[in-house]
Amino acid sequence: MDFTLSNEQRSWQMAARKFADEEIRPISLERDTISTPRETWDWDIIKKGSKLGLRTMAVPKEWGGQGTDFVTQALVMTELAKADSAISKAFSQNWKWSHLISASCTEEQKQRFLPAFVADDGWVLGKGITEPSAGSDNRMPQDDPKTGIKLRAERKGDEWILNGEKAFIANAPVGKLFFIDARTDMTVPPKQGTTLFLVPSDTPGFRIGKVFNKSGWRFYQNGEMIFENARVPHANVVGEVGGAVKKAGGAGGDTTGGDLFGDLELAANALGICDDACATALKFAKTAKQGGQALFAQQNVQLQIGKINMLTEALRSFVMRVAWEHDMKIHSANAGLAMNYSGDVANEVTELYMEIRGAEGCHMDHHTDKILRDAFIWNHLASDSVSRMKVVRRLAAAA
Amino acid sequence: MYSLQLGPEQLEIRDTIRDFVTREIKPVALKADRLDQCDRTLLIDPLDQASRMGLRSLALSEERGGAGADALTSCIVTEELAAGDADIAAILSESSRLAHILFDQCMNDTQRDAFLPKFLDGERYHLAFAGREPGNDTRLGVNYHRPADRDAVVKTTATKSANDWIVNGVKDCVANAPVAGLFAVLVQIPGRPHANVVLVPTDAPGVSVRPHDKPWQHGTCGEVAFKDCKVPAANLLGDDAAATLTGAAAPGRGIPLLQALNLGIGRAAYEAALDYAHLRVQGGRPLIEHQAIGTKLGEMAIKLEIARAAVWQAAWASDHPEAIADRSLSDLPLTTIAQVFTSETVMRTAKDAAEIFGAMGVMRDMPLAKYIHDARVCMHSGDGNTDARLRVAEEIAGYRRADKRAMRLAGE
Repeated sequence: MDFTLSNEQRSWQMAARKFADEEIRPISLERDTISTPRETWDWDIIKKGSKLGLRTMAVPKEWGGQGTDFVTQALVMTELAKADSAISKAFSQNWKWSHLISASCTEEQKQRFLPAFVADDGWVLGKGITEPSAGSDNRMPQDDPKTGIKLRAERKGDEWILNGEKAFIANAPVGKLFFIDARTDMTVPPKQGTTLFLVPSDTPGFRIGKVFNKSGWRFYQNGEMIFENARVPHANVVGEVGGAVKKAGGAGGDTTGGDLFGDLELAANALGICDDACATALKFAKTAKQGGQALFAQQNVQLQIGKINMLTEALRSFVMRVAWEHDMKIHSANAGLAMNYSGDVANEVTELYMEIRGAEGCHMDHHTDKILRDAFIWNHLASDSVSRMKVVRRLAAAA
Repeated sequence: MYSLQLGPEQLEIRDTIRDFVTREIKPVALKADRLDQCDRTLLIDPLDQASRMGLRSLALSEERGGAGADALTSCIVTEELAAGDADIAAILSESSRLAHILFDQCMNDTQRDAFLPKFLDGERYHLAFAGREPGNDTRLGVNYHRPADRDAVVKTTATKSANDWIVNGVKDCVANAPVAGLFAVLVQIPGRPHANVVLVPTDAPGVSVRPHDKPWQHGTCGEVAFKDCKVPAANLLGDDAAATLTGAAAPGRGIPLLQALNLGIGRAAYEAALDYAHLRVQGGRPLIEHQAIGTKLGEMAIKLEIARAAVWQAAWASDHPEAIADRSLSDLPLTTIAQVFTSETVMRTAKDAAEIFGAMGVMRDMPLAKYIHDARVCMHSGDGNTDARLRVAEEIAGYRRADKRAMRLAGE
């Protein structure tokens, strides 16, 4: 057991910390305040981060990226999330789909998309899975052909014609290239009848609808995707027709659509929120006073601070172990368990943090309110019953 | 005898309010633009309608023009209103509570003659207690089980000038301030050992109200400044008014209106989740038929029932001091106890309800994000639950504080 970081890992961590302190934290609350969902995104911070490699760090070196390992990616996500969880996610969302490109696209597809993605500081990626009537059903696919996604893709010569819609799609309003799951056979279970397509944002017949008005993760945009006879070349099919679910799992042996990285991503990001809460709580408890004494003098405050640090350090151990296992190509249900756990921890830590802060009269500190809303995002995608049962299925399959 | 059997009038008023909330409040309160916590404007029309129904004067005695509702009835009405909109519930319950305290308990005939007709006639004439001042620290915290270093001093002064009181000072986080017609202002009269309360109409010269933007409090609140504000000498209430209005007379034992409001928020979240769990089909059947979802809904129902029992028990105790005297009920601060249990229950309920809605549960323009925000506000209004537990601990430790009045400026 050696927990030492390599010089390269350490230097990425330091660079991310510097960028988080100097560039992200100063704009975090201001972006959170913007009430129009379409206007929360800031290209300036994305482009600045991109120049440091924060957009492309999961792209292999031979394709012009930085080819970082999972441990480095976990460290960087945590550092960025410590300043703003949503901005961290805006960067790491690109790594998630860079992993998918590396794992699943052909050389020809990589050639068409990867160099352009790497070269353009304003190019971000996304993946459309969820639909209004297919949330949990996508995450735990059913055998009934009538369940699951409804977005249709029909072959016409060298093209596929897509019709339907996607909802809540991350980066939809800002992305240039999307992976899209579409049904190519409605008569078989979705697992066998779904195909994965690469869909550039300027595809004819494809447009973005509303931008969702989330309570947390304000910066990070989720939008509707609308396909009205959208024409996608056959060359953009990823893997085989009908092979979306299998293909999206890539080399990791996990068949749930990029989750190999996605689970680690949520856990590492949550850790950043917790680090933020711990650091701010301690600073607050040492400086805020009651009756002439620092709050830290109180047993209750000490116990609360002890607890949030205990939970945060336990999460860190879990996150870093999973990152290391990914680098060692040891694949298990651990990433999913870490993700479930991270939701529990992020919620408990931010709630305890709010208890330490308390309201000041009839006001609540904005930053405290924000990290609680950010942490609450985990409730519906990391620590909810469906996420947990998905992971348990992986446990059972591996046993 | 301790009994939670509701009378026919209580049942009728509950049904009436529930119907009103369904027809008049929910359709406007649950509109997308109104749900966004960044854009919570007061729903004036339903508020006025509720006022005309008598909810502003609910607890005022019948002989003075109110409905004479007891604590339990007031809590039932507040829960029903809050299930529609916590802000409307907060404003009405504060006016109704103060109407009973001020007009039935604290005012003399002259004062009543001066203010009661205006209150009864003006459907937008609300009442506010201006107690808290900027920088007031009401927490028990470091002072647990030991005397506070010094009493919180009331800095707002009332000085006598001929036949008037001249009021100077600033109050903060005053519930109902932006809609109030009359303020009961906690003041220090130089030379007196304790604080007093003076009545100041909003239109008195020298009164200015600055509403707070997006406060961490339900209803509406603001800062109220008094600058050489002159009111007749007759506006001074009796010496007991300060203790009654601050809650210092019976700390932790006031009418559990905030707790009933909190319960209404939890019930709204639970009912929304229950409805949706019937409608939404995933995994081949309605959500409610899934064990995981059923368990969550079951847990919500269990905890909400216990929370309501705690709120009603505190309300009953408030209506029937004899039930405590004859040891039917505990003499602990039942309202504080209800607050801790209810706020934690409702927070958990709102979060679990939101999970059932999936991504729709985190959208600002959908009801669940509103319920979560509202539940969080209840968790952290006042001094929070860590502090509430300390207050209960002082009681069970038998610690008697000399400065209860000063410690309870924020009310319950």
